[in-house]
Amino acid sequence: MMPISRRPLLGLAAAAAATAAMPREAQAANRFVYANNSNFDTLDPHVVFDTARVAVRLNFYDGLYRWVDNPPKLIPWLAESHEVSADGLEWVFKLRRDVKFHDGSLMTADDVVYSIERILALNLGAAPLFRPLLEPGATTAADPHTVRFRLKEPSAIFGSLVPDITVVNAKLVKRNERDGDWGRAWLARNVAGTGSFRLRRYDPAVGFIAQRFPDHFAGWGPKYLDEIEFRTVLETNTRVLGMIRGDYHGTDGYMTPDQIDRFRASDTVQILEQESMRVFHFCIHNDRAPMNDIHFRKALVHAFDYDGFINDVLKGSVVRNPTIIPNNMWGAPPGIEGYKFDLELAKAELAKVKAPLRPITIGTLAGFSETEQAASVFQANLRKIGIEARIESAPWPTVSSRMRNKDQQYDMVPYWKSTYYADPNNWLGELYGSRYLGGGNVSYYSNPEVDKRIERALVSTDQEERQRLNEEAARLVFDDAAGVWIYNTKWFGPYSKRIAGIRFCPVGSGQDMRWAHFA
Amino acid sequence: MKRLELILSRLLWLVPTLIGLGVITFLISHVIPTDPVAILAGENATAEQIAALRRELGFDRPLPVQLLAYFQDLLRGDMGVSLFSQQPIAEELATRLPATLELTFAAVLLASAIGIPLGVVSALRRNSAIDHALRVVTVSGLAIPSFWLAIQLQYLFAMKVGIAPLNGRIDGFGPEPLTGMMILDSLLQADWESLGGALRHIALPAITLALPAAATIARFTRAGVLEVVTSNYVLYECAMGLPGALVTWKYVLRNALISTVTQIGLIFGVLLSGAVVVEAVFDWPGLGAFAVISIIQSDHRAVMGFTLWAGAIFVIVNLIVDVLHTLIDPRSTR
Repeated sequence: MMPISRRPLLGLAAAAAATAAMPREAQAANRFVYANNSNFDTLDPHVVFDTARVAVRLNFYDGLYRWVDNPPKLIPWLAESHEVSADGLEWVFKLRRDVKFHDGSLMTADDVVYSIERILALNLGAAPLFRPLLEPGATTAADPHTVRFRLKEPSAIFGSLVPDITVVNAKLVKRNERDGDWGRAWLARNVAGTGSFRLRRYDPAVGFIAQRFPDHFAGWGPKYLDEIEFRTVLETNTRVLGMIRGDYHGTDGYMTPDQIDRFRASDTVQILEQESMRVFHFCIHNDRAPMNDIHFRKALVHAFDYDGFINDVLKGSVVRNPTIIPNNMWGAPPGIEGYKFDLELAKAELAKVKAPLRPITIGTLAGFSETEQAASVFQANLRKIGIEARIESAPWPTVSSRMRNKDQQYDMVPYWKSTYYADPNNWLGELYGSRYLGGGNVSYYSNPEVDKRIERALVSTDQEERQRLNEEAARLVFDDAAGVWIYNTKWFGPYSKRIAGIRFCPVGSGQDMRWAHFA
Repeated sequence: MKRLELILSRLLWLVPTLIGLGVITFLISHVIPTDPVAILAGENATAEQIAALRRELGFDRPLPVQLLAYFQDLLRGDMGVSLFSQQPIAEELATRLPATLELTFAAVLLASAIGIPLGVVSALRRNSAIDHALRVVTVSGLAIPSFWLAIQLQYLFAMKVGIAPLNGRIDGFGPEPLTGMMILDSLLQADWESLGGALRHIALPAITLALPAAATIARFTRAGVLEVVTSNYVLYECAMGLPGALVTWKYVLRNALISTVTQIGLIFGVLLSGAVVVEAVFDWPGLGAFAVISIIQSDHRAVMGFTLWAGAIFVIVNLIVDVLHTLIDPRSTR
């Protein structure tokens, strides 16, 4: 019989003990670690267009222009300037001449053309924003540093969308195309960008590590991060505990007041507070009885306890937002206080409803407790005026799928509308414009007067006129009580106290790391 | 001969089992009101764009046609491509397997190391205070939900005592992957720092999985030992004056462990097919975490791939257990 040696066991124990007392920070000097609430199953910037994975687009890639700060402002980025033709159809962008890809090659107009064609061909990610405006083949390279976009129709928002034309290295991607897939399989696992950081390691099950790209065209200040690591940590509690322990230097800034309180009580975490552009509202199905009756909808908007929800449930951590356009966005109509919580008024409106009443269904997002809390608050008050509400909770993909189908859509759904581009159309147009029916317009609301203003605002190049049109349209939607608009979110960005230089922008949710550094 | 027949019949059963599993999973995936195409197309997509994408992906075809096409692909060894990552699902499963395999080995080893001695002690001290205490422990081990236990362990060892990490397999990305199993790769590359990190990270998830498994093993071991310890040959060996420890650990345990080995095999199969909750809580990048994400995203093909994998593993592990059973106890083939 072979004698059992204790040595291997002692070796394992020693190895474990050697690192037992070593905090993660000590093991990764000057590496910023971010706990991300979503997984990075692909690195392709033209496939994914959600806020949870925006870090890929912001840190590995660049767009022609870039959104920075709060309120968001557009700054020239890969492009130095642009001109628009008098008819609003032709947009010409002059590109910088000193932009390098991570492989050292220079970026040219051909790369921009390839990138937009790829976006249109894949028909994913940001494609829904561009396909109504651009035909495939309508973008050309006038010279190596000039790109010309020929639009299908004049568009006032095209300028707001160009940050989402993330430019990929055309030659590199083409070399890795397979069976005409536009390099999709390859770009899911690799990076071909000009961004501030270049990929070092990637595991779709874990996340990625990226190194600073010293040759980035925008240059670097005296302080910066050498490495960034984005790890997938799906459990909120784990992200919170990890921040408090010092395992992570940053995580998502839209947590519940309880979690924010835990951060505030911690010695290691600082909270960066900003009013964001993320409107929480109840979407109402406007094209189904009895919600298609304005009196029923008015009964609904007067039956929600706005102050109670904001001050008691959310501990005053958000700001009341009376319409669908965020308060801090131009185009938000001034002087509207918002509907008041008044059950007598609600009852009076309900008495005018001609169609027979029936129980209504509220679809909430499983795992997003605020939606469930809001629905419960609503349910209790609706019962007081004689409306029974049934709450059905499901994961976001299920709720989202049902919302897109007019027949399967719930009667009401509480959810947030985030910022994809900083223009009132991102909220008002997409949620209530007829051109977006079945897409973003999941309230199935249609009003020719509203459409007239939204359509005009989409083509007008006169900023004053656009502001007026958006304000008018928002008032009309408000008067129609087409939704229950509750609050504009505040962003409470939790970051390690050792981190400085975070530039929050509602479009990037504080994940644009080129400005950050260790204090 | 009997053993060969057993293996062949089990392998033959694997085919209808997997077909049935595939059909059921496919139908369930398509009955629930989730539209992966709408999710893939994004929040801003219009109805026309979603419809175009659906046509492009072939999701507009009738369900039986889609199902048939899926099985045709399977016969060619193609499990399809993940809708979201665009990577072959077989590849996705293969890259996550080492993490689950490593965790499973650690948990089963730990569970056996705890469960077998506890079962033996419990049986030998039958109806004593120790036996009652161990019974309470084992019942508790079975009753405690794994997510609760995981969070408590995180709170105690990661937050309060501070000797274990909260989650993940290692800080950063660890050593260069050779086998994909962190501990083994660290050893092969003599990377002691990574080895220490990997051991620290595996401790809490392995304990979470091991405790309920240890409870099961202890109960089966106890029952087996009780059955054997009163048999004539044991009484004879005791009467012959053989030391008690020798009788117990050499003669009693071998015969008593037959049902325990079966249980260990089943536990191994269950864990290998994805410890979904524990992997999710500890962000363990294995098959269970892959299943959770695929379900959340309604990535039907990925869910199907995982389910078929889990089914196949379970059948194969059962087969191995049965073969082992015949080796330990030749009477079972008679």
